[in-house]
Amino acid sequence: MEAGSTETGRQAPAKGRLSTFARSEKATAGTLITPSRLVLAFIILFPASVAIYIGFTEWSPVTGDQWWEAYKSWVWFDQYWAALNETSFWLAIWRTVLITGVAVTVEFILGLVLGLLFVENFRGRGILTVIFLMPMMVVPAVSGFIFFMLLQRDGPVNDALSIVLPGEVRIGWLQDPSIAPWSVMMVDIWQWTPLMFLILLAGLVAVPEDQLNQARVLGAGFYYRLRYIMVPMLKPVILIAIIIRAMETLKLFDQSWLLTRGGPGEASTTISVYLFREVFQNARWGFASAAAILILIFVSVLAIFAIRPIERGQEETLEEMMVESALGDDDQGPTSIPSERAGS
Amino acid sequence: MEGTTDAARSASPLVAAERAEPKIASANARRVRQTGKWFAILVIAGFFMFPIYWVATMSIKPQAEWNPPGGGTIWVPENPTFDNYRSIFGLEKRSGFSSTGSRDAVPSIVNSLITAVGGTLFALVIGILAAYGIARWRAGGRLLPFQILQLRMFPPVAIIIPILIMWVFLGLQDTRLGLIIIYGSLTFPFVVWLTRSFFQEVPRELSEAAIVDGCTQWGAFIKVVLPQVKGGIAATALFVFILNWSDFIIALVLTQQEATTAPVFLNSLVSGAQGREFGSQAALAVVLMIPPIVFGLSINRYLVRGLTFGAIKR
Repeated sequence: MEAGSTETGRQAPAKGRLSTFARSEKATAGTLITPSRLVLAFIILFPASVAIYIGFTEWSPVTGDQWWEAYKSWVWFDQYWAALNETSFWLAIWRTVLITGVAVTVEFILGLVLGLLFVENFRGRGILTVIFLMPMMVVPAVSGFIFFMLLQRDGPVNDALSIVLPGEVRIGWLQDPSIAPWSVMMVDIWQWTPLMFLILLAGLVAVPEDQLNQARVLGAGFYYRLRYIMVPMLKPVILIAIIIRAMETLKLFDQSWLLTRGGPGEASTTISVYLFREVFQNARWGFASAAAILILIFVSVLAIFAIRPIERGQEETLEEMMVESALGDDDQGPTSIPSERAGS
Repeated sequence: MEGTTDAARSASPLVAAERAEPKIASANARRVRQTGKWFAILVIAGFFMFPIYWVATMSIKPQAEWNPPGGGTIWVPENPTFDNYRSIFGLEKRSGFSSTGSRDAVPSIVNSLITAVGGTLFALVIGILAAYGIARWRAGGRLLPFQILQLRMFPPVAIIIPILIMWVFLGLQDTRLGLIIIYGSLTFPFVVWLTRSFFQEVPRELSEAAIVDGCTQWGAFIKVVLPQVKGGIAATALFVFILNWSDFIIALVLTQQEATTAPVFLNSLVSGAQGREFGSQAALAVVLMIPPIVFGLSINRYLVRGLTFGAIKR
């Protein structure tokens, strides 16, 4: 009512104002996401078309042609066939999958052990958590370099083993083709177990204590509490942790490049190292583009399976945040206990 | 007081009564378990700390202690010195150094700083705008998390080959600007995801009130909403900075000399003729390690959130 007395210009076109308001909202929303749309297009569509184009040719900069002249050596799907028929391509994929499988499994087990050790409060827990956090913040290339120093034939790791074990230990961590992949795994485990640990710890802390106590009273040992209470409750978290680690390890490049450069020979060549070598050492641009597209297809198929649990996790996080802000900080442990699970 | 909350919380009062009993019975077993627990923690902590200890001490060892000529390992530096840092920062040209002495790491560190900061700012501007649009009007639909994940799953090497072709074409290869653009483009999805949840916590009425008071949409966004999410944006900025600072493969492919970043420079030292001059390399490694560790510890709450695409909130 007071508004009417102030300005007629502001009051009168109430209806019109509302619609311009709505229109301006829509326009603003559109403007807000335009830059990111452009960037995504620029960073995905343009390179993708170039890669597809080059992948159909035998072009490389050493031919002397510009890249858009690559059609001169058009070969259709030959490069794709060449990639699919090349043993070292498949070996690189297999090696990457193996490294990922072993590294992520070890990271999970170590992370779970650490999480279980840290779930109860004790003196020094804070500072120790910080210590365990540090490796994952080391620049990956640097962690490759650190292990390059440590794993020299006359380096500290062999010297330390020489003290513990009888005789002089001179393991060729980086020179022995059968050991080099394990050294690469070791760096990944060192660097990323902390992330696994933090994720699992966050999950473990959230397991309601009452339920664990109830199970303990009913006589459930540690194994049963782990198997029938903690693991089922942690399942979504475990899934997310494993998917994210697996995704990252499949791309492994920095650490392994600094550590072994894919060598000796091809003994520790991962997918990324393989593509890099094909382009920059063998100058097979068309071949590497075709191989990269095959890898992207492979990864996109994996992504379809990987995204669901993570998306669900994101949604749950949002819900949780809303519930938390509604409830405040009160400790609201669930009071019903599924005793049939904890029994026996 | 305590009794009532306890009884209310547990299903049966029996639990509260019996909880204390097994503790007394197994005090001895508990001590054994505690010792075992500490032993396990210390062993694992040793595994995780030793590499960091090694690079830190290596960086203050004089040349004679890098690779002792008679073999063996020097576990604790005997004559600590800052010479390695001086040579990295070009303050001291050592006669023994042909390459490290003449090429110090300062330009590459400067490049790293400029490109990481620039890429972060670029990502922040684009990402924050999109995040606000998404949080406020659901602009762009539900596809976004998928796009983030997809961008993140592709091996960077696979993307970088065509980008190198483009960058040469556009004259962006081996320039800082080229790196800034690619860093910003690859990390802005993180900004979108991380800041989106902060915007969602700002009540819509706040900006509506500002608009009624005569602000434009943009005015309300900049003057009213943004200040509300300052903290979240700062954390996001540090997180994205760490990502950009840690990059190796992109700079390795896209730079040659002018715009070389510090990790690429480190790589060239390791692969060069002076491959076993560990001391100065370790000094550069330590310089590289410090910013992410400092920033990472100050935002460790958001670190996990960021690295899991918001799926894990601590």
